[in-house]
Amino acid sequence: MANLSRRIQKETERLSMDAVPGISAAPDPNNSRYFHIQISGPQSTPYESGIFALELFLPDDYPMCPPKVRFLTKIYHPNVDRLGRICLDILKDKWSPALQIRSVLLSIQALMSAPNPDDPLDPAIARHWKEDESGANRTAREWCLTYACH
Amino acid sequence: MHAQVPRNFRLLDELEKGEKGLGDPNVSYGLERGDDNTLSNWMGMIQGPPGGSHEGRLYSVSIHCGPNYPQEAPRVRFVCRINMNCVNQNNGNVDPHAFRIIGNWNPTYSMETILVELRKEMNSAANKRLPQPPEGSNY
Repeated sequence: MANLSRRIQKETERLSMDAVPGISAAPDPNNSRYFHIQISGPQSTPYESGIFALELFLPDDYPMCPPKVRFLTKIYHPNVDRLGRICLDILKDKWSPALQIRSVLLSIQALMSAPNPDDPLDPAIARHWKEDESGANRTAREWCLTYACH
Repeated sequence: MHAQVPRNFRLLDELEKGEKGLGDPNVSYGLERGDDNTLSNWMGMIQGPPGGSHEGRLYSVSIHCGPNYPQEAPRVRFVCRINMNCVNQNNGNVDPHAFRIIGNWNPTYSMETILVELRKEMNSAANKRLPQPPEGSNY
């Protein structure tokens, strides 16, 4: 794609040449600002053994504004809503142009290891986490087996 | 050069705008089901404009965004019966040949555009005084 900034080109190259373990990110053949992501569920979490698909887009103003990203695979997590939208500070007010696509994906992977029910996107799921963490983890595991494991 | 926004992110933007109630106050729209991960099926509401036979009425409109939205226009259908020249009397479908916004669709248009323009069309000379079916009747 013409006029794709040097920075985006370098990031794209690095994402495949120097991939983060457990994370794959490939640009769409028809749109080099649109990425198809897969994140492996982190070990020792209810998401273990699951492969979670996400999609990511770099708006015009990137990197002055953050990428847009959402889960495509259903996931039971207090910081992800039913449409896969993610509540993560670096995707909003804590974004900085010093961060990259890589940082965002690593943060999402970290969020899967450390759900934060105090900053929820889905209040019902957050309540479940706070009132019955082992029950919530069980549900997260069930959803993972149903939606993220093939 | 403007980045081409992929379908899903464009629809998420529209969803957010609808959720926040930004834009024209006489229309509203949202996903038909809150868990529609494909972002395909939407429900809009139009407040009938004052001064014509639609005054005081609330119309539900179903909007389906296919895989090629926004390059391709959505399919639009009135759920509530309405007597309007661009709406099929049998099934409520909005006829692309009679409604310019869909017939001459442009990817810069949005679901809000459709609802706002349908509302304007209700008060056009051709439609303003048409007698309407009883309120609350559906197709």
